[in-house]
Amino acid sequence: MTVQPDAPPSTAVIPVIHRHELIIIGGGLAGLRAAYEAVSSGINVAVISKVHPLRSHSVAAQGGINAALGNADTTTHDSWEAHAFDTVKGSDYLADQDAVATMCREAPAAVVELEHMGTVFSRDDAGHIAQRPFGGAGYPRTCYAADRTGHNLLHTLYQQVTVKGVTFYEEYFVTSLVTAGGACAGCTALCIQDGTIVGFLAKATLLATGGFGRIYERSTNALINTGDGLHLALEAAAPLKDMEFVQFHPTSLYGTNILITEGARGEGAVLLNKNGERFMKNYAPGAMELAPRDVVARAIETEIREGRGFPGGFVHLDLTSLGEPLINDRLPGIRQIAIDFAGIDPVTTPVPVQPAQHYSMGGIDVDVSGRTPLPGLFAAGECACVSVHGANRLGGNSLLDTLVFGKITAETIIGDLPDLDPGGASVIEKAVVEEGNRIISLFHRGSGDNMYQIRDTLKKTMMDHFGVYRDGPSMDAGLIEILSLRDRCQQAGVPLMQTPYNLPLVHFLEITGMVRIAETVARCAIARNESRGSHARKDYPLRDDDHFLHHSLLVPDGDGTLKVRTSPVSLGMFPVKERVY
Amino acid sequence: MKFRVFRYTQGDDAPHYDVFETCGVPGMSVLAALTTIQEQQDPGLSFRSSCRGAVCGACAMLINKVPRLACRSQVTGLTDKKNLVHLSPYPALEVTTLWDPATEVLVEPLPHLPLLKDLVVDMTAFFDFLQSVDPVFHPREPLPGKEFHMEPDAVRKLERFTNCVLCGACFGACPVNSRNPKYPGPAALATLYRFHIDPREHDPGSRILAADTESGWWACEFHTNCTRVCPKGVPPAFAIGRARNELKQKRPGPPTRDLGDDGPSDISR
Repeated sequence: MTVQPDAPPSTAVIPVIHRHELIIIGGGLAGLRAAYEAVSSGINVAVISKVHPLRSHSVAAQGGINAALGNADTTTHDSWEAHAFDTVKGSDYLADQDAVATMCREAPAAVVELEHMGTVFSRDDAGHIAQRPFGGAGYPRTCYAADRTGHNLLHTLYQQVTVKGVTFYEEYFVTSLVTAGGACAGCTALCIQDGTIVGFLAKATLLATGGFGRIYERSTNALINTGDGLHLALEAAAPLKDMEFVQFHPTSLYGTNILITEGARGEGAVLLNKNGERFMKNYAPGAMELAPRDVVARAIETEIREGRGFPGGFVHLDLTSLGEPLINDRLPGIRQIAIDFAGIDPVTTPVPVQPAQHYSMGGIDVDVSGRTPLPGLFAAGECACVSVHGANRLGGNSLLDTLVFGKITAETIIGDLPDLDPGGASVIEKAVVEEGNRIISLFHRGSGDNMYQIRDTLKKTMMDHFGVYRDGPSMDAGLIEILSLRDRCQQAGVPLMQTPYNLPLVHFLEITGMVRIAETVARCAIARNESRGSHARKDYPLRDDDHFLHHSLLVPDGDGTLKVRTSPVSLGMFPVKERVY
Repeated sequence: MKFRVFRYTQGDDAPHYDVFETCGVPGMSVLAALTTIQEQQDPGLSFRSSCRGAVCGACAMLINKVPRLACRSQVTGLTDKKNLVHLSPYPALEVTTLWDPATEVLVEPLPHLPLLKDLVVDMTAFFDFLQSVDPVFHPREPLPGKEFHMEPDAVRKLERFTNCVLCGACFGACPVNSRNPKYPGPAALATLYRFHIDPREHDPGSRILAADTESGWWACEFHTNCTRVCPKGVPPAFAIGRARNELKQKRPGPPTRDLGDDGPSDISR
């Protein structure tokens, strides 16, 4: 229905309802990999995205994708089991080991498949896919396309999917999931281009909306990463899992926080403090700069806090010893980024870097098949938590996660479809009318509180209270602030204006969700009285397997309050040990 | 710094320009300035953005009469000599409003595409042209059990073209696209060339035939605006020159008319 602020809601207008067997919300790698699988099996698939799929954040992934191809083997041989061990150790033993085994076993096939679809991976001298060392990995296991791996994978999959007949709804912002009879029956969405609310009726709904990095002031994420899918799931009473585990990438460009790939360190770049000291020797003498991200991020944060960083709060990532030819060959993108956005050429000058939010290990609770507890609703990629990353993700495992679980989840959906029945369209039509009325009420709130001030306060709150280091009293104060922001959202309004490309309306819907997601991060973080992986508490500096070797499960109660419960970790393949690098 | 911004809403008799003033900080991008203006001065201002790091291609627009990514364009550097880009003329580059380059940044939508709202254009035609060249890999069969063997040098040649982010800057910079509604444009042709030179293709060297038409490879006039404006260093004009040279070697001349000079055979950056 058309959302005209001045017109009364009209019952005469028949809502537009699009019907598909499977709707995929999100057009990044997980969504497109799932779309490819589903459409290949003859299913009627639609991809709904608030941006053109090629603008999805997957496109920004730089360093690579892990697979035990063994192309860089010398005297010892890489294996999927070794990859699984590194992943589980990197997760601080919180990843589900059966899920990790699945991911690592499927990795070589997933990479080769994309190569066969046309992805141009960088090659070694023998003509095989080149593999570089990455943090926390026992072998050079990370396949790459220079430092534009996500770009190359996403464009390849986009090409494949468009010729197969997937329907794209570009620039549609999904505003709610619709449930009927205890199952997901589809969604409502704002068509950004004309301002109408439309409905989607589907047997299966797959959330593949990526992460929520933009709730933090400093983030490597695209501006669009506002956690919309997690908010949709939560509003539909689907649980979230392990929300306290937020990855800070050690090396974001000082100023804009654009990512500088771990591949730079994989190729030999070193980290230096203001005294020119290679400080990683004090934190991870074995792995040095190639310790996992949580370890390196804490090291940099500590150097800065203890006065050994540069004024403003950064350290140096020094690539100058790599030489111009290697940088041009393997890291051309980050050279361009440093020149464009910091006016610095890494060939001659160290790059100023600082930790910034980068990835969400937590997400929508799914099993290893991609099912959420809500029938008809599935999730894959960064918005989902299987969990294969546990308390800390290894670099190179997120692209892998999207491809492997995008495919597996689509296979699950293909199998489940005959048993899924969304019912008739009337429930969707009703939801479209309700959503239209809700949005009209936003226009009628008047100017109210300023949503951008709410957002900026949220970002600062998350940085200050739920950053690299955390402690109980600070987090309690942070949660109180978040709750007050939640109340302020109720007062904020959306200015009246023409309906096409109404950015404030989209921003308002995003910000409302961001505040809610922030609350889930806060509640899970406060409940975990230990330090594990990315969750580093000053007041509980040690890991506590006796009390906290479990997932956090955040379940919305009927009245909207959030309760933190737990669920068991799947162990068995590797014994839980101390984590030393 | 002042920003003179193109404004248009469907139903308007004609577009107009609004002038905004925002305090520029060193290193501020045009995208950051537009964001500040939208959040603090005029919530109704519409534009696209996503990655803010020059990798997603969402924010191509005409900035100081050059198609650029707004996120990659530093406000303070726009008037530096090294950032000046000289382009072959086409209508969108003509004077559309009076502005002072010394004190103002002129921000207009990407040319050659239908206007939707302010700086947002309808990219459908751009992506339809891309689809028209069948932009998908057709591998040699049977597929090898593992990855295809590829020489690193072949990868380097391909990378020049796979780096394209499909932002449309080249399309908005092409004088031919300004008047020939059948011309697929530089990005689509560069993408086609990328598959043509892929040694893993089932029939390598045959793909260029798909655009061996008057409005395909042969419509290019080698203004090379495309290569000059590409934010990722992709050289479409080079690809087009190569494709035409190859076709000429296969048979004596273009399909339906003789264009004479094919321009330089190597106009890489």
